[in-house]
Amino acid sequence: MPLEFSKFLKKLSVEVVVGRWSFQVEAMDRGKFSDEFIERSAVIYLTEEFGKANGFKEGDVVRVSSGNKSVNLKIMFTDVAPENGAFMPNSIYTSYLSDFSNFKRFNATLEPTDDDVTKPEEIMQKVLSKI
Amino acid sequence: MHVCTGCSCLCDDIDLKIENGRISRAYNACRRGAGIFLNISSSRAKPTIDGQQVDLERALQKAQEIIQDSENLAIYGLDTTTLEAQRLAIELAEKKEAFIDDNSTFCLGDFVEMILKKEIPSTTLEEVKNNAYVLFYWGTDPYHSLSRHLSKFTYYPRGGKRQRGYEEDRFLVVIDIRKTHTAKLAKKNARFLKAENDADIIRGFIDALEGRSPKIFQKEIPRILKEMEKGGFNVIFGGLGLKYGLGGDYALLKEMIERMNERSEVYFMPAGCHPNMRGFNELLFEKTGHVNRYSFREKRSSDDFAFHRLLKNDSADTALIIGSDPLNSLPLEYAGKLSEINTIVIDPRETFTGRVAKVTIPSALSGVESGGTMIGADGSRIELNPVFEAEINDEYILKKLLEVV
Repeated sequence: MPLEFSKFLKKLSVEVVVGRWSFQVEAMDRGKFSDEFIERSAVIYLTEEFGKANGFKEGDVVRVSSGNKSVNLKIMFTDVAPENGAFMPNSIYTSYLSDFSNFKRFNATLEPTDDDVTKPEEIMQKVLSKI
Repeated sequence: MHVCTGCSCLCDDIDLKIENGRISRAYNACRRGAGIFLNISSSRAKPTIDGQQVDLERALQKAQEIIQDSENLAIYGLDTTTLEAQRLAIELAEKKEAFIDDNSTFCLGDFVEMILKKEIPSTTLEEVKNNAYVLFYWGTDPYHSLSRHLSKFTYYPRGGKRQRGYEEDRFLVVIDIRKTHTAKLAKKNARFLKAENDADIIRGFIDALEGRSPKIFQKEIPRILKEMEKGGFNVIFGGLGLKYGLGGDYALLKEMIERMNERSEVYFMPAGCHPNMRGFNELLFEKTGHVNRYSFREKRSSDDFAFHRLLKNDSADTALIIGSDPLNSLPLEYAGKLSEINTIVIDPRETFTGRVAKVTIPSALSGVESGGTMIGADGSRIELNPVFEAEINDEYILKKLLEVV
């Protein structure tokens, strides 16, 4: 059985910057309930250097938590992420994690998880069940 | 040629190849624009009531009943539709003494308002192409949000006084919290300023303009100001990063622009995405003197009338959402409340909000399936040239709703 080192990692605290990502916007026109939309929206971008320094590899699924809310997202590497932070495309995932007081920049923690990436329907269910 | 309604650039040079009644190629369009034209049949909305598909007439009738019975109607969205439809929505709001708001409240409406009130000087993209030397992109990444901004209007094109290309005839300044794809262009004849605090950078410019050494970017700021004097015509494109970085206090920004203008011409332009956000702002401003967050009952604009605040405070019993998806774009603790009230969604495509709405009414894609007029971020009016003509568009639906008030 392979040793899953990521399971022993502690939580990583980061500031998440939210912005437009044209590849993700393109997917919206194909359908917000499509696999492509999830693939391009349920992601959190780190620089390769920062990600690897913290024990993450591209494709890892992490639980991203802000306050008492969390979603599972896939880690992707890009050289345009903040140096010691993260970038997320503007979508239902960032709308769920943020508030107007921290709308385009919010603090979050990242921790490894074996769960699947969260689907938009699951977020909607979480929100609606609280109302 | 067709007009792309993917963003506020409203590019009017889109050449489409149509084969067997379908768009097969979208020449000149960016990734976002091509996505709209090439996916017109994807994820189209269907008429529904309580999540069940019904025929269009039934959905329209139900929406009419809800509007008729509503006591506190909030109309929201509107930035992706035409001026003609926006005008009808404003008329509906007035007749119902309703609240009306658009995305500009949390997007760049503050900047548009300052321009309309002539508190800061602005210009057109055509003027920028022909004259601008120093180009600031402040808190915006047009590479992703306004993909042809640099290639069609600002940095790369040759025009008017700027015939020698970007290597010599443009000076690019990118100010952002991170090194974006746009910032990566800042090599020759360019500067990238990493924005830890936007107000501090503004103070740095003001200090330098007053002859003091700026506390940050001591080398970069004086050099940029020198280039601005050399160029004579300069423009600052401000995005959401700048808006949220300043936390709603624009006194310093206005002071900086005023002081800069004592040395050379400096204009400001919002770098926002929604294709006709400025159109809505202008129409409401002409009618009420305010650009958003307006109550026709109270005849005033207020933060309390921002759409998310109306939801938070349970101030609306009915929401009419046109061409917007609050569940995707607003913090969900507010947007989620749309499932508690009578929500009507008019949209060409399936949306998250549509899934929780009482009624959904499918509409046409503005610019692709319906014509009309839009106003770009620079205030230019653009006539749309649709490829197809759908009978059911936003105008048609809003006229139907107006019949009952």
